[in-house]
Amino acid sequence: MRDITFSVEPGERVAYIGPNGAGKSTSIKMLTGILHPTSGSATVLGRLPWRERRALTRQIGTLFGQRSQLWFELTPRETFRMLGAIYDIDGPRLRTRVGELGALLDADELFDEPVRSLSLGQRMRCELAACLLHEPSVLFLDEPTIGLDLLAKQRFRELLVRLNGERATTIFLTSHDVSDIEQVAERVIVINHGQVIYDDRVAAMRRELLATKVVEVALSAPVTLAPMQGVIVAAATSSALQLVVDTACRPVRDVLDALLGKADVTDITVTDPPLEQVIAEIYERPRT
Amino acid sequence: MTTARTWAPVAVRSAARRAARDPGGLAVSAAFYAIVASVLSTLWRTATHSHGGVIAGYTAVQLTWYFYFAEAAVTALNPRQIEITGDDIASGAVAVDMLRPASVVGMRIATEFGRCLPRLGVCTVIGSVLAWLISGAPPRPVALLLAVPALLLAVLCNLAAQHAVAGSAFWVRDARSAWFLYQKLVFLLGAMLIPIEALPLWLHRIAEVLPFVTMAYVPARLAAGHVEPQLLLLQLGWLAVLMVAAVTVFDAGERRLQVVGG
Repeated sequence: MRDITFSVEPGERVAYIGPNGAGKSTSIKMLTGILHPTSGSATVLGRLPWRERRALTRQIGTLFGQRSQLWFELTPRETFRMLGAIYDIDGPRLRTRVGELGALLDADELFDEPVRSLSLGQRMRCELAACLLHEPSVLFLDEPTIGLDLLAKQRFRELLVRLNGERATTIFLTSHDVSDIEQVAERVIVINHGQVIYDDRVAAMRRELLATKVVEVALSAPVTLAPMQGVIVAAATSSALQLVVDTACRPVRDVLDALLGKADVTDITVTDPPLEQVIAEIYERPRT
Repeated sequence: MTTARTWAPVAVRSAARRAARDPGGLAVSAAFYAIVASVLSTLWRTATHSHGGVIAGYTAVQLTWYFYFAEAAVTALNPRQIEITGDDIASGAVAVDMLRPASVVGMRIATEFGRCLPRLGVCTVIGSVLAWLISGAPPRPVALLLAVPALLLAVLCNLAAQHAVAGSAFWVRDARSAWFLYQKLVFLLGAMLIPIEALPLWLHRIAEVLPFVTMAYVPARLAAGHVEPQLLLLQLGWLAVLMVAAVTVFDAGERRLQVVGG
């Protein structure tokens, strides 16, 4: 990692993304005090993480999608008791907190099952409860939805947004799943080769980088379109067309007018290209 | 920071409860213990009888109690603890422990100690029954009472030393060879196979000043009928030294932990 500089405001939901080996997990491990950087500085909630790690862990929650912090032979409730002792949470407060988290994560009935018998999705909800037990102000999530099925992912993302809305918990998330970024984050920081190569709101990234629109047309009869500057025919059959329009040199309206004038159109949709494609373009930017 | 007084008892209780929920594992450990301890004590009893009834100051009855307790103190531990802890360090799994406001090594030792307790309890009860049936009542009941806390201290000393050694994985990434050597030192210099009084004098002198005697010899000598409470002080002293060593190694190691990727 080199020359990475950014700051995150309280209550923000930030996606910190990059290709494999870009330094995402390394950054999180430095910000949580696990790794010591060779140079440079960082503060989290006013603390230098690698010097004040134990004090900082009282104020942050960390979830590694690929490493469990639950004890597999115990039930989550027993683990919470253990964590309660570590975080110095007294008995009545711990019971209240576990009850609140059970309701928030819809996981109360899971807390008495042995961890080894939980599905991955159920376990991740319990993992989240474990890292929220001490009411952290900042939540670091390193690929939290990895391995989850679609429904479990969806539910997990909704939980994060709800948690942020209800408790103003700052969320700092790494993920390779574009939907995590789209549905959870408000801001995206992209790193590659150990450097920040993009930092903006997710909506702004879409606007700024989506210079193309995808036009999909359903036809009742085949049609041959004359070549148009800034328009690429991505797919064509007798009953459908897919066009990619470069809006910088041709407005979408021109394309729609041409289509409606020449073809017998039964349906038409105009969409942005997938965010995945946008991110891939950012990743491919040359190293500065 | 939360003090160990708060979390250590919970960690010990919780781990002990987990271990007790594995009756199959306990039964295997108990069977292994009963076989090995019985073979060792039988060998030494036979040797004692052929040497006029006493070897290195121990009678056949004393050596029977000696070996059942020496073996219990060592069998209670996971024999591959150094390897397991070393692998956790080398793989980066230890990072999860570092996310809590508690000493990483303290937490690990407390958890392992709790895990050892059911095994230690079962082995001690079985060993006492077998020793009584084979050779008769304990030589000195008061000494046997002293052997009980000595067993607990023996396990703690062993765990602290193993974690200090396993911490080398922060630098060398592979503590497996250290485990092999360490185990042999406990067997020989810890007097699990031979009472240190039966070793050549020069080796006896070396064993006396090393911490391995606290891990098997002390509870075994007490169970053999020697009312020597100063041996408990020796264990406490070594426990303090070994804990400081383990904490120092982990503190230094955590500063240079290398974890790559998720």
